[in-house]
Amino acid sequence: MRNLAHLLETRQVSSREIVEHYLGEIKQQEPDLNAFITVDDVGALAQADAADMRRSQGNPLSPWDGIPIAVKDNISTKGLKTTCASRFLSNYKPLFDASVVRSLRDAGMPILGKTNLDEFAMGSSTEYSAYGVARNPHDRTRVSGGSSGGSAAAVAAGEAPWSLGTDTGGSIRQPASFCGVVGLKPTYGWVSRYGVVALAPSLDQVGPMARTVEDAAILFSLLAGPDPKDATSADARNFEVPFWDDQFVKDLKIGVPEEFFGEGLHPDVEKAVRRSLRTLEGQGATLVPISLATNDYAIDTYLTLVTAEASSSLARYDGVRYGERVHAADSNTMFSKSRAAGFGPEVKRRIMLGTYVLSASHYEAYYEQAQRVRTLIKLDVLDAFKQVDVIITPTTPTTAFTIGAKRNPLEMYLSDLFTAMANLSGIPALSVPCGTDPKGLPIGLQIMGSHFREELLFKVGYVVERSAAR
Amino acid sequence: MLRLIDRQEVIRMARLARLELSEAEVEQYQADLTNFLTSGKKLQKVDVSAVEGTSHAVSITHELRKDEVGSSLPREEVLSAGPETVDGFFKVPRIVEEQE
Amino acid sequence: MTRYDTVIGLEIHVALLTQSKFLCSCRASFGAPPNSQCCPVCLGLPGTLPLINEKAVEYATKAGLALKCNINHYSRFDRKNYFYPDLPKAFQITQDAFPLCNDGYLEYYVDDQLVRTAITRIHLEEEAGKLIHSGESIVASEYSLVDYNRAGIPLIEIVTAPDIHQPKQARLFLEQLRLLMSYIGVSDTKMEEGSLRCDANISLKPSGSPVLGTKVEIKNLNSFRALEKALEYEEIRQSQVLDSGAKVRQESRTWDDRAGKTVSMRSKGDAPDYRIFPEPDLPPLNLDPVWVELIAASIPELPLERLNRLEGEYGLSRYEATFLVNYPDFGELFLELADSGLDCKTVVNFLMGDYARLAREKGHLDSERIAGLFQILDERLISQTQAKEVLDALFSSPQTAREIVKDKGMEVVGDPERLRPIVHQVLEANPQLVERFKLGETKLHGFFVGQVMRATQGKADPEAVNALLQEELVN
Repeated sequence: MRNLAHLLETRQVSSREIVEHYLGEIKQQEPDLNAFITVDDVGALAQADAADMRRSQGNPLSPWDGIPIAVKDNISTKGLKTTCASRFLSNYKPLFDASVVRSLRDAGMPILGKTNLDEFAMGSSTEYSAYGVARNPHDRTRVSGGSSGGSAAAVAAGEAPWSLGTDTGGSIRQPASFCGVVGLKPTYGWVSRYGVVALAPSLDQVGPMARTVEDAAILFSLLAGPDPKDATSADARNFEVPFWDDQFVKDLKIGVPEEFFGEGLHPDVEKAVRRSLRTLEGQGATLVPISLATNDYAIDTYLTLVTAEASSSLARYDGVRYGERVHAADSNTMFSKSRAAGFGPEVKRRIMLGTYVLSASHYEAYYEQAQRVRTLIKLDVLDAFKQVDVIITPTTPTTAFTIGAKRNPLEMYLSDLFTAMANLSGIPALSVPCGTDPKGLPIGLQIMGSHFREELLFKVGYVVERSAAR
Repeated sequence: MLRLIDRQEVIRMARLARLELSEAEVEQYQADLTNFLTSGKKLQKVDVSAVEGTSHAVSITHELRKDEVGSSLPREEVLSAGPETVDGFFKVPRIVEEQE
Repeated sequence: MTRYDTVIGLEIHVALLTQSKFLCSCRASFGAPPNSQCCPVCLGLPGTLPLINEKAVEYATKAGLALKCNINHYSRFDRKNYFYPDLPKAFQITQDAFPLCNDGYLEYYVDDQLVRTAITRIHLEEEAGKLIHSGESIVASEYSLVDYNRAGIPLIEIVTAPDIHQPKQARLFLEQLRLLMSYIGVSDTKMEEGSLRCDANISLKPSGSPVLGTKVEIKNLNSFRALEKALEYEEIRQSQVLDSGAKVRQESRTWDDRAGKTVSMRSKGDAPDYRIFPEPDLPPLNLDPVWVELIAASIPELPLERLNRLEGEYGLSRYEATFLVNYPDFGELFLELADSGLDCKTVVNFLMGDYARLAREKGHLDSERIAGLFQILDERLISQTQAKEVLDALFSSPQTAREIVKDKGMEVVGDPERLRPIVHQVLEANPQLVERFKLGETKLHGFFVGQVMRATQGKADPEAVNALLQEELVN
């Protein structure tokens, strides 16, 4: 991205040319790929022209002024349809920009369009999108992952230079891993959630998705920081893109949790991750075998909390103020029919589960219990960081699966097996491509650090990225 | 295989969540709820007596907002997305006094 | 009512008088055109997040302190989930497990007896929108209209212990609570605008029994009178149910003011399941003890304290003191005048007399202008009778009492040398009456005084006239 920025700065290329290039890619690939729900060519070109005008007047808003981006369709864009891949919001145009979108606009970045996802970010394949699956650019019979599948596929396919995703249990990292791009789930609270349509507010985070670790770090530096509109971001600080060098790896202690290398992990994935670990070791890092035993509870804890919060967060879709209404003689029936017609099966399933675990007679046994187990998981993770600087695991147990392969919801939920822990404990986690399987499908490696240690993750990721390229 | 969750319980949840379910969906979610709860059983065995629940993974200072009036939306915008509006109001059909 | 003991608990919602709403910065005022004070947050648009208004926390804390509660330095917000067209997010942000305040009390008089009602808790929550029904009642309406201006206004809910024992006591409690809230300035407490609302729980149990009976919740109590009437009605209804050997059903009833009775609200037996859980969008509240101290220091004299002071230090009767406490504007005026050295009884009589009527119509006078009136009365510049005219004039002109008297030429003539010729004239004009007076018809004295007053257009000082007449007639 620094190259692109340099070309723009030296006027060797215009923002319009860049945007036209990506719109061309989109036009060519979309019929097949389906990474976007909405493409805003008119808006993007207008924003590109405005950027070019600023450049010509010598007043660019930032080094990235004029470099376009794709935004996941659960992030509010003023006047631009934000459907959350749901029929319920098929015509919904937000009256305001999400704070992260505001940040992109403040940096001068044209928005190419809104990317595909599982409905309301519930899923791991975009198969639950009301607008069809976003296919994997490396093999179009396979899923791009989810829920930020569209954002990952768009970047991997060269339809966008970078994109925004959201991550509640792995929704940035898993598709990044499947599509061979870099994705960061930041520390909870470091990026504003204002305007990001909630799935589970105590777990949701917006993060960057990009082709390289450096690009991801640059994009993150634009997103990170306190937002007075988000009470849970109050302590956040700004982020500076780090200075890159391989030397620091020498003193690094890397935790390798045995639980993430056991049953269910595909041998190809294990091989690639272990190879990267050896490279890091070869550069002087110390590998420390650790245990994160509580990961055994992560998926069930995660599902309990995410469904509970989602059942409440999605209650507002009642057909009174916005959204699609199904007419009925009384309000209750109108609510029930509108919601039944507007939501897909996975959303309904999660609402049903969430309602159940919060209902009076089950609250203590399920929701309250899960909240307490969450504490144990967090303590377990933070304990590990007393011994090691970062923890490295595979991002996903397998490479991208074929479309339609996972019919059983419980099986789908296992996609988050290695990623949910970071959301539950609020720590940052970065997925970086570390190789491919024999079919040529990308494999992702996950680097976790303690709260606000993103800089370290990027630095380690940078080394992993370079070693994988060799 | 665990005993299926009571059908009436599924219907009660659907009512609470304001979701009109077809007969087939009731059956589907009866099975899904059962599976989920079966899988979730191992959580129940965890000893959590020593800890409190976590609602916020990262502890955050609560910065309160100053009591200053900001701008509201123009009324046309407020109403613009409403499925049914009349005379500046949102309109809803008959409200049946019933919580469940 | 002797066979049963009545047990009443109240839940009071008080709208806080903040400039902006509880969770967003929309204006919180009453009476704007529908849906003109709304933003993405209070409309519950996707992706919006709440932000707590500091003033709302301050006011709730102030209310808690005035009600002698513990202020919890840790409290938390929760989501209470239910669907209703006036509730934009389909959940209400409230405080459930960890309220801001608990364990306080309010003291007040019931028939000269000082009683205390325990406050169980006070918590912060958001208001819902307003519904306007097309028909006579909610159920009879084919459709309803929703206005979200009110949605998100800060409320406190005050919950009492069930230790109120008669409907009248419930009313007196609520009146005292209203007064307290207006003393500390946290609410305008207008029941007609809904900024003070009350639900009541009432149950009956056999006299002396330690076991509580089944409680019934009464809603829609829109006035102090409605509260008392509804509880009286319910007392009788429940005692009749119990007398007949039946059981009181646990339910919510609504007060129908026109019919003068309570009506059952729900037919379905299920208790609502609100699925309350901690609000993930808001960190817990951790109050700084210093901040709480500052709020405590800002609390003014409270109604009961003032009542005691007016009786004790100023020697007022309960009736007078209560008047001044219930109308704090009069109370303030009284204190200013009394503290400037004027006679307390004179001042209170004045304030409760003609002044009260005029002030209610036209607003209060500055204490200095009132003091000026007292001053010229004291100087005998005008008579008591003239004082009324001067008071009227004070309300319609910016002049001081002294200026008014001068302009109208109202000064009392008290100088005997100026009055003597007039007295002579009157006596000379009525020789027969003078004769009759001298023969013992002393009641004619009044007639002579009247004649002198008429001749002076009321300006003569009656005492001086008396003295002169005495002198002239006896000699």
